[in-house]
Amino acid sequence: MSYTPRPTTEPGKNSKNIMYCLKSNSLLGHPPISTTERVSSRIRECLDELPFREFLDGLAIAVPIPKSSLAKPGSLWVPLMFANALKQEGLVGDVLACLSRSHAVNKSATSAPGERPTALAHYESIRAERALITPEKFLLVDDVITRGATMLGCANRLYDLFPGVPIMGFAAMRTISDEKEFAGITAPCRGCITLHGSQTSRVP
Amino acid sequence: MSEESKGRVLTLTPEELLGPLNEVEARHAPKFLFIEGDRNLLRTGPRVAVIGSRRVTEDGLRRTNRLARELVGAGVTVISGLAEGVDTAAHQASIEAGGKTVAVIGTPLDKAYPTSNRKLQAYLSENQLVISQFAIGTPTQPKNFPQRNRTMALISHASVIVEAGESSGSLSQGWEALRLGRPLFLLRSIFDDPALKWPTQMLEYGASVLTDVEELLEVIPCADMSEQFDAAF
Repeated sequence: MSYTPRPTTEPGKNSKNIMYCLKSNSLLGHPPISTTERVSSRIRECLDELPFREFLDGLAIAVPIPKSSLAKPGSLWVPLMFANALKQEGLVGDVLACLSRSHAVNKSATSAPGERPTALAHYESIRAERALITPEKFLLVDDVITRGATMLGCANRLYDLFPGVPIMGFAAMRTISDEKEFAGITAPCRGCITLHGSQTSRVP
Repeated sequence: MSEESKGRVLTLTPEELLGPLNEVEARHAPKFLFIEGDRNLLRTGPRVAVIGSRRVTEDGLRRTNRLARELVGAGVTVISGLAEGVDTAAHQASIEAGGKTVAVIGTPLDKAYPTSNRKLQAYLSENQLVISQFAIGTPTQPKNFPQRNRTMALISHASVIVEAGESSGSLSQGWEALRLGRPLFLLRSIFDDPALKWPTQMLEYGASVLTDVEELLEVIPCADMSEQFDAAF
């Protein structure tokens, strides 16, 4: 999916509402189902048509991306819920919540472009717990991806622990900052996150 | 307000008022909510809590007034707790700006605290919406107010703390908003007092500094979402 943060059109406004549902894992619909469960269920229903279907072949170990801040026990952690929902649908093999923050970094969504943390800042703020497993591959799971700096920081931290194990990233929603480039809520895609110096770019 | 809901106290579960709650939201939710006024205020548009100290500075009042007016101007319903200081200023500024405002109070609906806000509470019951989790006859105790603050966090899509000391009830709401994963903003001026420890702690746990209302508007929904979810999938 995709959303635009400063929408002027109805589809854009709807996308921002869905983003809020996702970030709060709201229960909606009849019967009520959590947003992450709904998204996972829809992915399974149309998996064959999706450009990233091999990411979700049921073999990867899903690793939820930590929040940008520290987190108290019992607080909402949507990427973990999303990873669990993907497992429930058979789209990943298991969930390993092995990444957490040792200190907080600025939130990308509420930071000015120049103040957003770099991939290196994310890497340095993330700690990884060792696990006695030898996975075939990892799938980093996030709710919303902005530039991909968090994903890149997490991937490098995970690679330190499991060198040689392929790591892919998956997010339920992309941020499209420029509304002119927003093509609709449902916009499945596959792309690359690249580090140029300290700056990260995501294509598409 | 519709004639049907005018002057009537309704008893509803949080789910009946707000829609189904996820497990994190349900953990601290009250069993019942008693409401007086126009419940449609919770069905349209985004809701932002503007909260802070009872003993607020002149600058704090000015900032509250400006913030509430800007939110109302953007179609946001302003939620607050009808206490002295920031809460009263937030409600009054919203009313003066012709906007929507909801009071979430720490007493039963038939009691006003402080009593100086009795008229304002009556006005809000008649023309806007007042919500309490305390049944008529429940004694008013200090513990009611942090409970009320947690409920206010649940009702609001985001919360903004304008000014607060280390023992302010607003901190209960701030921590609850963070637990719920709801956006929490602190006005930059809060950081002018280096003796306060809570602002830095809340930043570490996910709060953001508010320098421009636009930043807040970017992370809250545009409208009620219940019907749009089905259409999107």
